[in-house]
Amino acid sequence: MQTSQTMEIQKLDMAVGEDAAEAAAPRFFSAAQFATLQKLGGILTPARNGLPGALEAQAAEFLDFLIGQSPADRKQVYTKGLDALQAASVKKFGKGFAQLEQAQAATLLSPLRQAWTYEPPADPLARFLWAAKTDVRNATMQSKPYITAGGGGARRQGATGLYWHELD
Amino acid sequence: MASKTYDVLIIGSGASGGMAAHTLTKKGAECLLLEAGPQVDFNRARSLKNVYDLPYRGMGKPGRLSHVFQADEFNANQWVDEAQVPYTHDPANPYNWVRVRMLGGKSNFWARMSFRLSDYEFKAKDVDGFGENWPVSYAEMAPYYDVVEGIFRVMGRKEGLKQLPDGNFVEDRSPDGPLITRFGQASKKLGMTVTKIRRALGQGPLASSLNLLLPGAMETGKLTIVPNAVAREISYDKSGGRVTGVHFVDKRTGREMHAKARVVVVAASCLESTRLLLNSNIANSSGVLGRYLHDQFYIVRGVAALIPEAKGGKMGRGAAGSGYVPRAQNLNGKDKKYIRGYCFDLNTGNTPDTRFFPYFGEELEQKIDEWRGAGFSSTIMGEVLPRYENHVRIDKTVKDAWGIPVLNFQCKYTDNEFEMAKDAVETISGVCQELGWEVLNRNTKMFPPGYSIHELGTCRMGDNPKTSVLNKWNQSHDIKNLFVVDGSSFVTGGGQNPTMTILALSMRASEYMAEQMNKKEL
Ligand SMILES: Cc1cc2nc3c(=O)[nH]c(=O)nc-3n(C[C@H](O)[C@H](O)[C@H](O)COP(=O)(O)OP(=O)(O)OC[C@H]3O[C@@H](n4cnc5c(N)ncnc54)[C@H](O)[C@@H]3O)c2cc1C
Repeated sequence: MQTSQTMEIQKLDMAVGEDAAEAAAPRFFSAAQFATLQKLGGILTPARNGLPGALEAQAAEFLDFLIGQSPADRKQVYTKGLDALQAASVKKFGKGFAQLEQAQAATLLSPLRQAWTYEPPADPLARFLWAAKTDVRNATMQSKPYITAGGGGARRQGATGLYWHELD
Repeated sequence: MASKTYDVLIIGSGASGGMAAHTLTKKGAECLLLEAGPQVDFNRARSLKNVYDLPYRGMGKPGRLSHVFQADEFNANQWVDEAQVPYTHDPANPYNWVRVRMLGGKSNFWARMSFRLSDYEFKAKDVDGFGENWPVSYAEMAPYYDVVEGIFRVMGRKEGLKQLPDGNFVEDRSPDGPLITRFGQASKKLGMTVTKIRRALGQGPLASSLNLLLPGAMETGKLTIVPNAVAREISYDKSGGRVTGVHFVDKRTGREMHAKARVVVVAASCLESTRLLLNSNIANSSGVLGRYLHDQFYIVRGVAALIPEAKGGKMGRGAAGSGYVPRAQNLNGKDKKYIRGYCFDLNTGNTPDTRFFPYFGEELEQKIDEWRGAGFSSTIMGEVLPRYENHVRIDKTVKDAWGIPVLNFQCKYTDNEFEMAKDAVETISGVCQELGWEVLNRNTKMFPPGYSIHELGTCRMGDNPKTSVLNKWNQSHDIKNLFVVDGSSFVTGGGQNPTMTILALSMRASEYMAEQMNKKEL
């Protein structure tokens, strides 16, 4: 006999389906912004030691979903920053960021060589790069491909945890 | 229920309300406890999940709980939803109000750091002339701390410091570890003492009102608990000058109810208690209800450093250690640019936050690998001066989900806090440098007020009814049968975490109440 307990439907089960959000990207970013973010992701968090990097973990695709749902100020950090990165690339190398060689692209990321401060930098490119450094890394290391390949997940979050369901 | 008159009606089931129920029922008082949140079965409320199976890969639903920096995607549902119980503030001066509504309140989640205040706090005005003294002294509080520490099983080491009195400890005999010892030796020259962190062990997985205070009260047969009961207004009989009970809303049905009691104990947490009193329009002949809001400012990882001797895993797990440094400033009056002082904790053997490494990509990952388990970090917890200007008031234009007007916050830190933060960061990084540890991060900018979850004041105690809301027994100067027993009653808070003091005050006030009831004085 089924009790009401065995009949209970889990309140959150994301594990059953393939994630389709990534396949739909970009929904929020423009094609150019998205290409820039993908390229940047590969530089910020590359694959290493047999573990996937941002590209394999579809970090840019995930961030397209996350930032698309975010408040306006966070959206702007990304859109302004990606546009600034693209503009800097065109100015310096005459082509888009996504088309640059790794070494060329890295020269545009010099704000990441500055010491961290609590207040984010005022410059839109620097501000974006600081946000992206953390977000891309988390989006990679907290992804299914990364963790199932044996990566421990970002330390801050842990690969697993006790999830609180909505309180009744 | 409506027809019965209880001896005592307690609002809130956290540390403060739980202690009131625990103490009063044991003394024979028939108590009714109203709790705004549900009773939660921890086994059913949580389940183990992979971070990648959460909708936002553990990075949190954007825009949700923007004031709760402690929230993550796993625990988001444990906090009060701001959409349900909002509050307002000037956008330039945010306040991080972190709340929990469930049986046991925040004591289900606290980090259990358990310290006493000393006469540097209780008699702070005598030291530097600022503000007011408490109407109680350390000597009066000590016996209550003893009992509270016994119930919560506080582990600690006796250090013999006047500014951080020793307690009734489960003795901590663990060694400090080589790195903490070195830090201790170097900081001693600056008058600082590295102590063990004092922590409530509790029982099993919790050190909460839920498992340490409420069960004993229930066993007496004298306690009735009503969860999902949101107190809206305390009822007041003008002619008798007494409170008579509480109007509350049954959260699940929206039904309005009233409960009666001879004595009302408000323990809804610092700011919810004050909100309730302000909304009830009582106990404010002094005009200071809502005033003198303070807490501790926090700078998490204000100093982070790399420890060369632990680089590349050389010390293994031997690098791990932690300690706590109590206030060492202005102990003899004023010797700094600021008054009062700060505490900080230290932690060695961690891996520094990636943000602090000015690298990216492969280079960053290599640095992290090199320095894994070789980091030092310190969180600074500074005393915030209780100022009249920092206050909460009712914002009649905004109401919560039950139509109850919300709080508006007017609160900001000032130069005393900023100077203290600068000195703390300079001092701690100076010690690191002396030890040859490479300082990676030096941040003097604190989180917004409220972040520490140690909100205090707004309903303060005092001997003078013109400048305080409560007397030395946490009893309203205006209304004899009304008590407020949480952190709102603090006069000044020091740098120490407040919960041991909240518990001791609540126990002390409850014993007094029971005595007065026995004497038919209430
Ligand atoms: C993550 C975290 C870590 C912490 N770490 C430490 C630490 O290490 N050391 C330390 O000393 N302190 C710590 N604290 C703070 C500590 O938890 C609080 O000081 C303490 O629990 C406060 O107890 P309280 O009873 O005053 O308030 P609460 O625990 O908030 O209890 C108040 C209760 O009243 C209920 N309530 C509110 N409004 C109403 C209403 N209108 N009607 C009915 N009921 C109502 C609430 O639902 C709640 O359950 C921490 C807190 C958190 C959240």
